[in-house]
Amino acid sequence: MKRKLEHPAPSARELHGPRYWRSLDELLETPGFRSYLEREFPEGASTVEGVDRRQFFKLMAASFALGGIGLAGCRRPEAYIMPYGKSVEEVKDGMPLYFATAMPLRRVATPLVAETFQGRPTKLEGNPSYLPHGGAGSLISQASLLDLYDPDRAKEHLRDGAPLAAADLNDLLASLSRNYTAKRGAGLAFLAESSSSLTRAALVARLKAAMPEAIWAEYEPVADDPPIEGARLAFGRDVKPVYHFAPARRIVSLDHDFLRAEAASLTYARDFARGRRVSGPEEADHMNRLYMAESGLTITGAMADHRLRIASSHVPALAAALAGRVLGTDAYARMATGLDVKPEWIAECAADLLAHRGESLVTAGPHQPAAVHALAYLMNAALGNFGRTIDFVAVEAEAVASIADLAGAIRAGAVKTLIILGGNPAYNAPADLDWPALQKSVAEVVRYGYYVDETSAVASPSRVHIAGTHYLESWGDARAADGTIVPIQPMILPLFDGTNELTLLARLLGDDVSDPYTLVYRTITKLTSGDPEKAFRQFLFEGLLPGTAWAPVAGLAPRPDAGAGIIAAAPKAEEVSARSLEVRLVPDHKIDDGRFANNGWLQECPDPITRLAWDNAILVSPRLGRELGILPHSAGVVQVARTETSDWDRGRDVAHVGVLRVGDRTIRGPIQIQPGLANYTVVVALGYGRTHSGRAGNGAGFNAYALRTSAAMHTVAGATLQVVAGEWYQLANTQEHWSMEGREIVREANVDEFKRNPAFVAAIGLEQHSPPYDAASAKLPLAEKAAEIPRGNSLYVTPRFDGVHQWGMSIDLNTCIGCQACVVACQAENNVPIVGKDQVVRGREMHWIRIDRYYSDGRIAPGAFGGAENHEIPEDPQVSIEPMACQQCELAPCETVCPVNATVHDGEGLNLMVYNRCVGTRYCANNCPYKVRRFNFFDWNKRATDALYMGPLGHQKQMPELLQMVQNPEVTVRMRGVMEKCTYCIQRIENARIRHTVEATQAGRPGDVVIPDGTFQTACQQVCPVEAIVFGNLLDPESRVVKAKAQPRTYSVLGYLNTRPRTTYLGRLRNPNPRMPDYSDLPLSRVEYNLKTYHSREGEAAAPGAGPGEKR
Amino acid sequence: MSYVFPKWSNKLPLQIVIYLLVLGGTVTAGVTYYCTPKYLRVGYAPVQPVPYDHSLHAGQLGMDCRYCHSNVDQSGFANIPTAQTCMNCHSLVKPQSPLLAVVRASYQTGEPVPWVQIHKTPDYVYFNHAIHVNRGISCVECHGKINEMPVVYHAQSLSMRFCLDCHRAPENRLRAPQDVYHLESPTLVAGGRTAQAAEMIRDWRIKAPDTCNACHR
Repeated sequence: MKRKLEHPAPSARELHGPRYWRSLDELLETPGFRSYLEREFPEGASTVEGVDRRQFFKLMAASFALGGIGLAGCRRPEAYIMPYGKSVEEVKDGMPLYFATAMPLRRVATPLVAETFQGRPTKLEGNPSYLPHGGAGSLISQASLLDLYDPDRAKEHLRDGAPLAAADLNDLLASLSRNYTAKRGAGLAFLAESSSSLTRAALVARLKAAMPEAIWAEYEPVADDPPIEGARLAFGRDVKPVYHFAPARRIVSLDHDFLRAEAASLTYARDFARGRRVSGPEEADHMNRLYMAESGLTITGAMADHRLRIASSHVPALAAALAGRVLGTDAYARMATGLDVKPEWIAECAADLLAHRGESLVTAGPHQPAAVHALAYLMNAALGNFGRTIDFVAVEAEAVASIADLAGAIRAGAVKTLIILGGNPAYNAPADLDWPALQKSVAEVVRYGYYVDETSAVASPSRVHIAGTHYLESWGDARAADGTIVPIQPMILPLFDGTNELTLLARLLGDDVSDPYTLVYRTITKLTSGDPEKAFRQFLFEGLLPGTAWAPVAGLAPRPDAGAGIIAAAPKAEEVSARSLEVRLVPDHKIDDGRFANNGWLQECPDPITRLAWDNAILVSPRLGRELGILPHSAGVVQVARTETSDWDRGRDVAHVGVLRVGDRTIRGPIQIQPGLANYTVVVALGYGRTHSGRAGNGAGFNAYALRTSAAMHTVAGATLQVVAGEWYQLANTQEHWSMEGREIVREANVDEFKRNPAFVAAIGLEQHSPPYDAASAKLPLAEKAAEIPRGNSLYVTPRFDGVHQWGMSIDLNTCIGCQACVVACQAENNVPIVGKDQVVRGREMHWIRIDRYYSDGRIAPGAFGGAENHEIPEDPQVSIEPMACQQCELAPCETVCPVNATVHDGEGLNLMVYNRCVGTRYCANNCPYKVRRFNFFDWNKRATDALYMGPLGHQKQMPELLQMVQNPEVTVRMRGVMEKCTYCIQRIENARIRHTVEATQAGRPGDVVIPDGTFQTACQQVCPVEAIVFGNLLDPESRVVKAKAQPRTYSVLGYLNTRPRTTYLGRLRNPNPRMPDYSDLPLSRVEYNLKTYHSREGEAAAPGAGPGEKR
Repeated sequence: MSYVFPKWSNKLPLQIVIYLLVLGGTVTAGVTYYCTPKYLRVGYAPVQPVPYDHSLHAGQLGMDCRYCHSNVDQSGFANIPTAQTCMNCHSLVKPQSPLLAVVRASYQTGEPVPWVQIHKTPDYVYFNHAIHVNRGISCVECHGKINEMPVVYHAQSLSMRFCLDCHRAPENRLRAPQDVYHLESPTLVAGGRTAQAAEMIRDWRIKAPDTCNACHR
């Protein structure tokens, strides 16, 4: 008899229980959201909007007519094969070459390996030679490739808007050089970006020597390094800290988003994960514990075991209170006054630190004042952490003027010629300087930049724009986060007429040699011994100069009078209330300070916390939202961030527009309610609202730099927020999509429970209640289980899994920080298109992997849903993060419904997607329980995003050549009308298989067809900074993936559906301190799970593996 | 009441059915014959910019395929030689031949010789030369007897059926590894060494994939 598993529909009672929720609307179960859930796709996602039937037929008639004309030439077009005239060393047609290079950003470069096909870079990956990164990459370094092929970049030099020939530019630079060398630089000023290039530093030093009266100023709008003043206060020396998170078992972060916002974040994230990774209960005691005090909700805060919501301007007081406890002094008591934090929080946190001397760490955010950093250093010193979890390296004091000094000189009329090297001061300089007006008043402005942007557009009497080169087109050198010198090696000749910054400086010096290769060669070979040619080649081969990392400063001790200095330097705590809001101006997670605004990959990548793409928003806490009246107090039909039910009706996030005012400066933007913020802190991301950026950046979001003054660069006090009545703004919010109805998606436990019950994941979830199809195979070893498919009398025949590999993946939710690097890495590797904001709003984004972010607060009363009880928006939720891509189900629901067999299995357990068979019925997406399939509603690659609906009648007939260049030739570029999804990077699997088999055969081992573990990685695995993703062959008992899957925390998402996913997850652990006031002996998501499953708080005790009720 | 339809119209339904069957059959037969690579592509022999004669080089002179297509056993692409490869010999052999003017120009200027592509798989098909030639599949299987072609033409259909026929029964197409580039050599099966073919399939663990991912990504 055929057995049938009843899909357990949530009973009315269950629906009344609390559960995971992904958006405020889901939590509140607005009527619009309910109707939205019932649809297969978000509203409009499956309909052609704006085109009625009549129009459709008109368009079709035109297409057929065109087709008829086209029929005349139905012979195959002649294609040509173009070999090189002379053979090129190392180049083999069809084989990629890999070169070491690095992406410079401010003072730190990310070492990279670029994959090139016939000289065309198509993918960037971390350089494995650089051990602190171990081959990992960051979101921005992945995406920077697209900037190279940006059609909106500066393509030629301009003088007053008219093209300027390269020879004329050289004449101009030569005359500038002659004039100002004669005048010793008087009247000349430079404004540059900060850089770690040794070659540039040498050129600048010579420039200063030749033109001593010239002003050299540097400006960076974003601080990603701790302020040196902190070290001066604590030690009286110019040093900066280098944190070692791996050995740190207790970490206190004072408003420090160290997983994202530091220059060395990639290293820190990797080290943090190392201290957090737990393979079995015996290691659980070594897991680190993160205390986080922050005003916004960052990805670091989402990882915290104890998270304290506190205004940024109150962090100095918190630091003082904590320091008082740790140092055992009441010297800082006055500084700690006015702090609204439970004293037990501070006391227990300090006690925990003191119990872990030498293996604890206190860090402070780069935007925090020097006093906080100094206090953190003192605490680390007292805890004996120096040399263990924290080191200091010397920083050279730089003779660099600030942008304010430069502004003063311009106002005084002392600047005749201003040379702006990179940056974008007209957009991001502090608003009080009124930089555009200053720049306009300078007689001659020479601007070097990658884009003709806001700064280039300022109409000064004489202006020259020098087109810059991308780092993948020109030579350079830089320092990595730990000081190691790395090469910036070009992959391709400049695509357009660009000039290198080094060349520009050398020409201004009047040097004969301005070729950047020679300049870099000279710099590097001075540092090496032996044959310089050989040494330089080795440098390029390795991608770094070994032994050039900064050496830690030994014997550093706090100065005795540090305390007095800190108290003197401590800022006065501002009042933070509904009438006087605090505004945090943060660099955007994706587009940083705005420099990546025209990068479509980054714009479309959702923010990890807000889940917004293509926009920033004024983030407010639920409490502030309620006080502003955009969040009603009452229950019933509760609407979030909007008042009418109809606003949600279309499945789109339509937000109130608000005006944020500080003094006479205002910004205007959409308001988004963000749980987890400090009550009266408003968080606004910088970098948006560009006007001269390009097709992707223009018009995305609003410009928050308008609020920023020299005095308050990161935290602005005394703001007010007003809702503009009746004005709305549509946000592209990817968070509402693909809702999974409150089931045990992310499984979590506290470390204590994990030690008692390592297999806690098995006690959560419906599988334990449902009759297992695979009872017989449940006990089998993984390798046999993978090949043995119980089909349950299904008529649908899957192929026998008889391949020599069985592929599988394991994702460790305990270390995943949700940084989104994998999203863009996948996009770059798999030719995933950009669809534009309008289409994201319609739910048609194409990312193959998404990072789901869930909130849970454990306080929801059992009667919350459907009843009037507890409709409060949580102010302080725990965050659970889960990467979600195709799960490669062994019994894939998508396959059984495909009418044309376009998605089928192969013998190695891969769920294949065959584009050339697909006819676009979208049944598979409908039947996918994980909602990971993506449909090409348009020819995204071929058409411009602003003319998608015009189809072939639009202005873009073919894929632009620049866009063609970025595509990975190993992956099909999909056309309109086909479904696509994660393939486990099948091109990498096949290429690895072929390469291994060919090499083994040529080496006389023709029978060796099994790819050894670790030969290749999927794109997401490769980039992952925290090594959360492991992929490999399940048949190899020694493979990393088998070892990962053997852990007791392994579970399948929606495992009760018997889809038997090949991607499994490792349950997340939290490590809270039982003595803390906010301790909960179950993760809040588990509290909610128990409430839902066992229907009452009392039921928790009855729940398997559950302890007593939550202590709140 | 008179009859509206004449008597012969009684046969009309049958006639229509027969007509439709014949029409359908003709169209089907026509499409299956004419609209397939076997008809459309086999025999395609475009004029090349240089009248390179494979029958002379590979046939009479006995040059190995890999002299010019040097990466065929490592890369997915069988590379077309650079002008420099041609000039290795032709700077001494027939250095002034007017037929080689294009090659000499290419060697001097670096401008490529625009060879016309004959064998082309669709964009969504990823064929890899290296894995085939290393695993006992000779060039001749897909390209025909190049060593006898003064002008190269499309010898096999290279349709999906053609690929699958071999992938489903690779033992019939195997050659001994040393014979892969000898286009005159018989396959193991044709040479009566069926047992050796079976042995090779077993020992080399040859499993020509017949699932979609073999060629489509």
